[in-house]
Amino acid sequence: MLEIDGIAAAYGNIEALRGVDLLVEEGGITCLLGPNGAGKTTLMMTIAGILKPRRGTISFLDRNITGMTPSGVVRRGIALVPENRLVFPDMNVHENLVAGAYLRLGKRKSQVQQDIDHVFERFPRLQERSKQMAGTLSGGEQQMLAVARALMARPKLLMMDEPSLGLAPLVVEEIFRIISDLNADGTTIFLVEQNAHMALQVADHFFLLEQGQVTFSGKPGQLSEHEVIQRAYLGKGPQRNQPAADQGRPDRTTLPSG
Amino acid sequence: MDDIYLITILSNIGMISFIALSAYLLLVVGEISFGQQAFFAVSAYGSGIATAMWGWPIWLGLLWGALVAGAAALVVAIPTVRLRGLYFSVATLAFAEMVRLIFEIFTYQVEIDGELVGPDGSDGFRDIRAIYDSNVSAFEYMLIIYGLLAVVLIGFLILERSRLGAIFRMIGEDPMLTEMQGLNVTKYKILAVVMAGIVAGIGGALYAHLATYVEPKIFNVMLGVHALAYGLIGGLGTAFGPLIGVAIDIGLLESIRAISGYRMIVFGGLVAVLLIVRPRGLLDEAAMHWLRGRWRGLIRAEN
Amino acid sequence: MVDFIQNCLDGIMLGSSYALLAIGFTLIFGVMRRLNLSYGPSIMVGAFVGTLVYLEFKANAVAIAAATVVGAVIVGIYVERLCFRAIRRGAAVASMVSSFVIWMQLEEIVTVVFPDRTYFFPPMVTADPIDLGPFFFKVENIVMFAVAAVMTVLLHWLLQYTRFGLALRAVSENPRAALFMGINVGAVMFLAFVIASAFGGVAAYLIVSADGQITPLFGLWATFKGLIAMMLGGMGSIPGAILGGLLLGVVEAQSIWYLGTEYRDLSAYFLLFLFLVFRPGGLMGQLAVERELAATRRV
Repeated sequence: MLEIDGIAAAYGNIEALRGVDLLVEEGGITCLLGPNGAGKTTLMMTIAGILKPRRGTISFLDRNITGMTPSGVVRRGIALVPENRLVFPDMNVHENLVAGAYLRLGKRKSQVQQDIDHVFERFPRLQERSKQMAGTLSGGEQQMLAVARALMARPKLLMMDEPSLGLAPLVVEEIFRIISDLNADGTTIFLVEQNAHMALQVADHFFLLEQGQVTFSGKPGQLSEHEVIQRAYLGKGPQRNQPAADQGRPDRTTLPSG
Repeated sequence: MDDIYLITILSNIGMISFIALSAYLLLVVGEISFGQQAFFAVSAYGSGIATAMWGWPIWLGLLWGALVAGAAALVVAIPTVRLRGLYFSVATLAFAEMVRLIFEIFTYQVEIDGELVGPDGSDGFRDIRAIYDSNVSAFEYMLIIYGLLAVVLIGFLILERSRLGAIFRMIGEDPMLTEMQGLNVTKYKILAVVMAGIVAGIGGALYAHLATYVEPKIFNVMLGVHALAYGLIGGLGTAFGPLIGVAIDIGLLESIRAISGYRMIVFGGLVAVLLIVRPRGLLDEAAMHWLRGRWRGLIRAEN
Repeated sequence: MVDFIQNCLDGIMLGSSYALLAIGFTLIFGVMRRLNLSYGPSIMVGAFVGTLVYLEFKANAVAIAAATVVGAVIVGIYVERLCFRAIRRGAAVASMVSSFVIWMQLEEIVTVVFPDRTYFFPPMVTADPIDLGPFFFKVENIVMFAVAAVMTVLLHWLLQYTRFGLALRAVSENPRAALFMGINVGAVMFLAFVIASAFGGVAAYLIVSADGQITPLFGLWATFKGLIAMMLGGMGSIPGAILGGLLLGVVEAQSIWYLGTEYRDLSAYFLLFLFLVFRPGGLMGQLAVERELAATRRV
């Protein structure tokens, strides 16, 4: 569905992506794991059209979308749930959702209202808070709103950048339940995560991104969870010495919220 | 005649450099001040009162002016230091305009030799004659200005190599990170504001005595914003930056007579283009880094 | 008591023009997060374009007003391209200083074209003040207030009920997120600038025609009145800009009456300083300021 071929991109003078190849299959949950600074968010920005790649091509549903504007990418059917959620704090929940359908607002107003009803069915908590300012929602609710807002674009592919960031463990579980549900209802999902433990439970396929390059591609179970976590947190690639087994498995999978 | 003209321009460059350096110091700690003219004004009046009305010698008058400016800066710094960004900028603007408007109504005069001397509201403060009474020539006074400027500049250069200077730059880059290093950002910012006030104050005291006459409207917001612009034109990487900014504006453009009357049209356009290419000025941090590298390379080559 | 109420009424009339200036300011600040010091000067140029149209063609009030607005918008676009669009993200100080030097440039251009500095500006109406019980109103002030009210309602409608308004609010709340929604952020910023300049142009026409004259100093005056009113109301808040403008007008009118003309600006700046120290968010922006502070503390 989404094919990324030899993408190189840079933030200023730092080359953050150095020839990334990656494939997202239609209908599944594809996961991208990797340590901080490996280039995960850069890749998301590049797909979303915010950063222009230096080399390589991105194609979506067999059409080249490399270098397209962000609105063009949304129009093609890719929506992004950004890192740190980025809801519009001084708009209420309903307005945030309408903003998510921005590109359809001109022509199909009634359709948008239908979609909002639909989203509210999936997220009754948001309906209760429909008139509340998004900035006053809890972290978990804001994450739900960010997901719901992205759904309002009727995406064929939903990209999520670190949806578990800064949320309490129970809330993280809820978010991942939502991800599975969405996928079960037919939305293809491309998930970027640091929380490898949770991500591996839902993923059909995963990639490891280390220092701007994909260093592993496979199904959960092909690599021990221990190794995935090591590499997703610390970026210990196979080319280097494996750390001793007792060398502290990082167990702080989430930061305390609030 | 040209000599006097040259001396006047050079003296002006020197005096304005103080207020430009003052605004630059605050830019280094990451704050934009529209109000450094307030300290320039307070010191101009303060030192003028000291020499013309109280009969103090010039050097004491200059010192007093700088101290009064520093004290005024402390008074502003304490309530405003926790403000950031535009809030701080506008607070400095409000303060400076308050100072100017108070001088518009401030009258304090005494009779000396049958004449009333002292500030008289919007009519200003005349006859600050200390340098003429003690027979200091325009050229000598220019030397005094540049002597003091050199002292302040050396102070800035030492500061930039010191721990304090490093802390100032760190606050400018990221105050939160600085706070997390266990440094008291509030305290350092107050210090920076007071230092900047004193530097502007030296300029103001020098100005009052050269002009012999000050009036409130000189100290309007234009002076402060120019001071700010000089730092950004010359570059935020070094204390020479603001001096370059002043020299380009007053020295270069004012002396090209062909463009007199169109100076700001040319200057405005040039600076706008410059800021597109170099948003942190000619000598920005990167340029200074490169220059220092070249300099070290040269020294190595010599040895 | 009658004096006090009359002062309040005068203040509100005067304040409505401040409110228009502040709305333009806050629109630009809201989407750009940068201060446009050239705002006042660009509408000042607009007013001089109106003067030119009057001098050359003896045009009527509508044509002069239209020329003022068009002039303000064209100069506004010049400022947007040069000082904001062309300067990269993250260089807010450079944008501000750039807008300042362009201010100087605009002022000098006007001085070169209009060497007499002070010019007659035709009043929009010539009618006697209206008495209403113990109070009286100048007709031009009533027009000013009415136009300000209509424009405010229009803007409210635009922001709350149109697609463009939604985009504009989205950009001012979070430009990055707005991009992800498919909003063309650059175009929205540009249009916000155009609308703000048009508001400024209308304000300039109302103020200058009530004064009966125009000087290049109007630019400075407009920038600082707009800035103060915006800060009093709360940066980036449209209702705040209106309330801030009215508050500023009333405070000025009261100080002129009770303290004397020389205290007019002094009390305005004193009020501003007090607000910044004790309530930096102004009348309507305190929540946003506190949220920012809370976020800082969390990190």
